[in-house]
Order: sequence, then C-alpha cells, then structure tokens
Amino acid sequence: MSAIKIRNLQKSYRVYQKKEGLGASLAGLFRREYRTVDAVKGIDLDVEGGEFVAFLGPNGAGKTTTLKLLSGVISPSGGEATVLGHVPWRRENDYRRRFALVMGQKNQLWWDLPAQESFKLHQKIYRIDPADFARTRDELVDLLDIRRLLSQPVRELSLGERMKMELTAALLHSPEVLFLDEPTIGLDVVAQHNIQLFLKHYQKVRGITILLTSHYMKDIAALCKRVVVIARGEIVYDGSLAGIVDKFSGHKVLTVQFGGERMPGNLSRYGEVLEEVAPKARLRVDRGEIAKVLSAVLAEHAVDDVSVEDPPLEEVIAEMFARSSDGPAATDLQPVGM
Amino acid sequence: MSYLGVFLTFARNSLIRDMTFRANFIIELISSMSWMAMNLGFYTLVYRYTQNIAGWDKYEFFVFIATTMFVNSLVQAFFMPNAEELSEMVRTGGLDFALLKPIDTQFLVSLQRVNWSSLGNFLVALMLLAYAVPRIEGYQFSLAAAVLYPLYIVAGVLILYSVMITLAATSIWLGRNQSLYDFWFYITNFSRYPMEIYDGPFGKPLQWAFTFIIPILVVINVPAGIMAKPILADNPYGPWLAVFAVLATIAALAFSRWVFQKALGSYRSASS
Amino acid sequence: MVARVQTWWTIFRICVEERLVYRGDFALGTLMRFLPIVTQIFLWTAVFAGAGKGAIVGYSQNDIIAYYLLTTITRAFASMPGLASGFARQVREGEIKKFMIQPIDVIGFLLLARVAHKIIYYAVALGPFALVFWLCRGYFTAGWPEPTVLAAFFASLTMAFLLGFFLELTIGMISFWFLEVSSLLFVYMLFNFFCSGHMFPLEILPQPWQGIVEFLPLKYLAYYPAAIFLGKVPPDELVRGLMIQAGWVLFFVIACRTALNAGYHRYSGYGG
Repeated sequence: MSAIKIRNLQKSYRVYQKKEGLGASLAGLFRREYRTVDAVKGIDLDVEGGEFVAFLGPNGAGKTTTLKLLSGVISPSGGEATVLGHVPWRRENDYRRRFALVMGQKNQLWWDLPAQESFKLHQKIYRIDPADFARTRDELVDLLDIRRLLSQPVRELSLGERMKMELTAALLHSPEVLFLDEPTIGLDVVAQHNIQLFLKHYQKVRGITILLTSHYMKDIAALCKRVVVIARGEIVYDGSLAGIVDKFSGHKVLTVQFGGERMPGNLSRYGEVLEEVAPKARLRVDRGEIAKVLSAVLAEHAVDDVSVEDPPLEEVIAEMFARSSDGPAATDLQPVGM
Repeated sequence: MSYLGVFLTFARNSLIRDMTFRANFIIELISSMSWMAMNLGFYTLVYRYTQNIAGWDKYEFFVFIATTMFVNSLVQAFFMPNAEELSEMVRTGGLDFALLKPIDTQFLVSLQRVNWSSLGNFLVALMLLAYAVPRIEGYQFSLAAAVLYPLYIVAGVLILYSVMITLAATSIWLGRNQSLYDFWFYITNFSRYPMEIYDGPFGKPLQWAFTFIIPILVVINVPAGIMAKPILADNPYGPWLAVFAVLATIAALAFSRWVFQKALGSYRSASS
Repeated sequence: MVARVQTWWTIFRICVEERLVYRGDFALGTLMRFLPIVTQIFLWTAVFAGAGKGAIVGYSQNDIIAYYLLTTITRAFASMPGLASGFARQVREGEIKKFMIQPIDVIGFLLLARVAHKIIYYAVALGPFALVFWLCRGYFTAGWPEPTVLAAFFASLTMAFLLGFFLELTIGMISFWFLEVSSLLFVYMLFNFFCSGHMFPLEILPQPWQGIVEFLPLKYLAYYPAAIFLGKVPPDELVRGLMIQAGWVLFFVIACRTALNAGYHRYSGYGG
C-alpha cells in the first residue's frame, strides 16, 4: 500500500496587492485589492513506504505548500490525499503522532533554553514512554554527535548544530513519515554533508518514508533515487535524477581534441560552440544529430581524442526552470510562496 | 492528566528561562508592583476628599483593588504572554508547528509561556487583602465568603482569558494588529471599577451590556462583593449575580473556543 | 538648499506611507483612546456624589471631566510611542551606523518621521476627537476661553510635542552607555503617568509632592496645556509659565544634541 497517496490536490489563496506610491497607500486605507494565487494546481502522486523522494522546483513552485497540506497545517481547496491512511487536514492526533515536519528556515525549539528542555516538552506532548524516549534520544544524540551541546541554550548554537537539534526533536517520537523542507539551507558544506549522512543512515535503518525539498542538488543526488519536479503548482517530472537529463535536455556535449597544427575553422556548422581553446573545442549538438555530426567530424579532421557527454545536471535543471517559468508568475510567487 | 504534565513542563521551562534573565525578571517584578502602588496611591488621594465611592468606603475599595490585582496577576502570568505571542506566531509561521502537535492547539497556544514575574502582584494583593479586610467597618468573617472568593477569582480569570483569546484569535484573520491588544486593555479597563458607578441614563445600559453581553463587570465585582460585603448585599443585582457569573464563565469559554476554531480554519485556508 | 528641502520632503513622504500601512490600527486605536475617559466620567461622578461637595481642589465635577478630555489632546501631542525604545534598538543592533555614514542628521530625521506620524494620526483622529468633544461640550461650562488664552494653549501644546520628543530621545540616547534601557523607560513611563497629570489634576497631590512636581518638566507634557485652557493658570503667570516650558524645551534640545555627540564619540571609539 502507498504511504502517501495524492489525487488532484489543489490549493489557492488570496493575497493583498499593495500598490506603490502615496496616493495608492491612501486609497489602500479604504479599499484593498486581492488577487488569487494558485499555489498547487492539481497534483497526483503516490509514494511507497520506505521511499526517499525529493521535491525539486523553483521558489514558489508549490513545494512547501504541498508539504504543509500533507502535514495538515493548511486545508486544500480541492482534491484528496492520504498519508498512512489518514486524511492530513482532519488533524487526528493518531496521525500527528506518526509524522514530523522539519523546516530549515524555522525553528520550533525554545530559543532561550537548552535543547534538552524542549525535548522533554516533546516527550510530554507526544506522550512518549519515558524508557523509549531516553533510548531514542540517546541514539539520535550519539548519531548526530551533539551530546555535549544538549545543555547549551539553543540561541548559542551554530546553524548546523541547531538543525541537528531540530532533527532530533522531530524524530523523538519515531515518526513513520518525515517531511523535510530545505533542511540544509544556509549550512556550510561540512554541516550539509553531516546532515546528509545522518538522513541516509537513519532512513536506511528505520525504513521510514521521507519527502524532501531542497535547492541543493548535492542533497538530492546523495539521498534520493526518485525526484519529483514541481513547477508552477504542477508536477512536470517524476523519475530518477539522471532521467531529468534525458527528458529535458535535447543536447549532448561533444568534446573534440584536434590533432595537427591548426584548429579547423567554422566549427559552428556542427553545432553551437561552447568553448574553443586550441587544440580543444566543446560543442553543443542536438541529440538526434550526434551520430551524424560525430562521424562527419572524424571523417573531415585529424582528431586525437573525442568524448560525448550529457550536459551538467545543474544546467539542465536551471534551463528547465527557466522554461517553466516563462511569464511573470514565477517571480510574482516568490514572496508568498515561502 | 497528560495535559497537566504538559502544562507543568511549560511552567518549568518558563521558570528556567526567567531565571537565565534574572535581572530582567527582578525589574519586571518591581515595575509591575510599582504600577499597582501608583494605582493605590491614586485612590488614597481620592479618599482624602470623599468618604465613599458608589457605596464602597475606603477599605472595602481596597479589597476591590486587591481583587483586581489577584485577577490581573493571574491573567498576566498565564495568558497575556501567550496572547501577545499568538500574532507573532502567525507572522513568523510558528503557528504551523503548533498545528502539527498531537495536542489541543488552543491549549498549546494559550499556555505555553508562563510569566512568573507577574505573580509578584499576587503576593502584594494578599498583603493588601490582609491589611484591608479587618479595617472594614463592622466586618464579620464568613466561611462561605472565604470559600467562594478564590473560586470566583478563578472564574473571573477565565472570563478575561476568553475575551483575550477571542481578540488574539481575530489577529489571525487580520494579520499583524497591535490595536487588538489596546482593545483588550481598554475593554477590561471597564471591569476595574465597582459596577455601581455605571449609573444614570448612559451608565445603566453600559452596566447591563458589560454584565450580560460581554460579562467583564462580573470578573472583579463578584469576588470583591463576596469578600468586602456580606455576599453582594449592596450589589444592584444582588446575590443572583453570583449564579449568573458561573453561567457567564461557561458561556464565555465556549464562545472563545468557537472563535478560536473559526480563526484557525481561516488561517488554514488563507496561508500558503 | 533646494536639494536639502527635496531630501527632507522625500523622507517625510516615505514616513507618511509607512504609517499608512497600518490602517486598521489607526482608526480603531483613536476611538479606543476615549474609552478610559468614559470610566473616568463615571468614577468622578461617583466621587463627587460621595463627597457631597461642589468642588474638589477648585475643580467642579465638570471641570475634572473637561480636564481629562483635554489631557487626551495633550497626550496626543506629547506622547512619543516607541521613540526611545526604537532608538535604543537601533543602537543595540548597530543600525545607528547608517546615520553616521549617510549625510542625514539623525535627530532631524527622527523629528520629521515623528511629525509625519503625528500629522497622519491627527488627520485620522480629527473626526473621532471632534465627535467626542462635541458630545461632551456640556462639560466645558466656561465655554471657549479668551483668544489670548487659546493662543497660549496652542503654544503650550506645540511645546509639549517638542518637549516630549527631545526628552524621550535624550532618554533613548542613554542606550549609548547602557544597552538595555527598557526598564529605565518603564520607570520613566510610570513616573510620567503619575507626575505629568495624566492620572489626575496635579492640585490633588498633597504637599510636599505638589511642590516637587512643580519643579519637574513632566507637568508640561499633560497638565499645563489643559490647565491653561481651563483658566487654572492666572493670566499674569501665563507668560512666565510658557517661558519656563520653552526653557525646558531648549534644555532638552541641547541635552539631546550633547548626548548624541558624546554617544557617537563613544560608539566610534568602540569600533561599533
């Protein structure tokens, strides 16, 4: 049975449109204009138990909104979803004890208190058996190597240490489903790597289902076999990370190292020239043309070396986002999509 | 009982927090006490020029002030910091986390912070009560009054809590709104006087509205009237007001609960 | 010169716009401001009924209520919500550096922002104020005062605004030396409430307190303009009183500037 099942899920809301200028501000005293934003426009998705799925998409694409819908923080304007057999926005306590949400940009620990006090509060709120609580906490604390920080006020911790504390708090009640919204945002490379290692290990050992949104391709490459790309409130891709390149990039990159004294001129007849430094040249060639171009190059010039590669993933994704956000909507959404 | 456990953890965590900012704690303690001292000073001055105000002589009125202090210190200690926090939580998105917890959201949001320094006034109120009661002319101790007084103080606190959480919940609708807090201050300002002063063609309807529609006049008048006078003897509504106060408390709690749930519903459908 | 005027005009406009964002706060907040007056009217009616005298310290019942109404005006001029605490926050968070870098005088900027704030406030508040005073015209038994007295009243009001601004900003500048001034501000606020005449006409104070208050600048923030309007200041003392008020304004203008220079000096000495 699917752990998460989403059918035609939709969410739209109204935002107040502030106008610029003194006159408009004055008018705003009496009348306000609102605009409807469709944050999620009919999503279908099935996630099996034990899967580690990444949500990928530009700012305001609807990733966070989807996570909030699945955690029952907000109610949808249409469609259905179940997580572990529960409808999230009914907010049954049974459901709330079975999942957790971690947001990289927000903290839910008491700012002025040592994290262990917040953990105790979690124990009371989630009604965790004291023995289970102690065991789970010790396990997490050792895995994340934060024991020495437990009695330090949260405000004195570094961002990376704080995220480890947030993760510990979220996992104390051993959730079966975990939603992670940008868990590594703002962290340095080492801290990012630590968090990745932990998530990978924990997911493997516990076999829990994780949905993750992130901007860092490294997070996703390290953790998720399956990637769901969301743009403008719709799913535009669902499959492996490598498959994105096949689907969205119609190009290959051809690198040729020429032999002989001179570089041949007029390389652009083979394809778009990306780089030309003698004796090497990098060309962008249509996928369908690659065999023909390659044989033509080999036939017409003395060639020392040749390679055909897919374009870098970051480039493909950036290109894909740029394409999916033609028009003003994507930039418009940015401030409200947080 | 698990809710009690959660509440005690809230109280404990708040105390740990207050103790880490000890200087701040002491300053808050002193300043809230001096505020009440000034209030007391004002009425001491007024009683230099009159024997009684609306049927309350000096020491009876001091009992009234002590009752105000009890109720206010409890409201400020347990509910005020949370109501203030609520609109902040809406603004920063902290409310999202509250909505995830397997516990009643209103309970969580209403009680998660305890402002221990406000309980300083509770002690001052005890002293003032002990000072004023024996000085009331012809005072007779009654067991009924001693038992009912604390119960009606709790009822009063619950009514004020209902008003406060109702106003705070509307901030979920409106987003950030400071004047809601002012509104609370001004509305409850009416409750700080003996209800007998609301007299005459304008006063009577006001008295009626603040007793039976928004029941803030019973908050202090009922416990104070029980303690200072033989069970509300002088009150325009008589001892029946005490019965009404119980009903009003239940109704206010139910109403505020309803508003809170509605506001949460609007938050869920309005935010991203 | 033109460029300078343009700069100030732009700053002024931005400040006005900023204030307008909080539209709901304004209209509601202004009407709320009069609610405590309602309870004061009832309280003093009860006090005078209890005293059985026509006048207390020279104030008739109507005079007292007129006095409270007038202090709402003086308060609207002299109160500076958030000025000192805002300045302290800027110092604490290092935002003050921006004024040390940009060619803008911080005192001038804040004064302009405050004027913008006040003008918007008066624009919205004029309606409610006019309504309340028209409804309460019966309390002003003496009718409109003489033109000269009226002129003195407005002069005193304007100076109350300036005095409130420079006094509170000077207190805010203490934050150059002590980062946490919020407790100090609270003490000032309490003291101000009691000694400026917000709470009651200062004549009610017994000696020696009345004599002490006489020598403090605080009375010019609330009591003095209201007393002028009600004819409580004898005509031959009017000029002298206004001179003293002007003297206090001047004193705090200089104190504020001196504190800023010394504060900048200290701040740059520490390297921010």
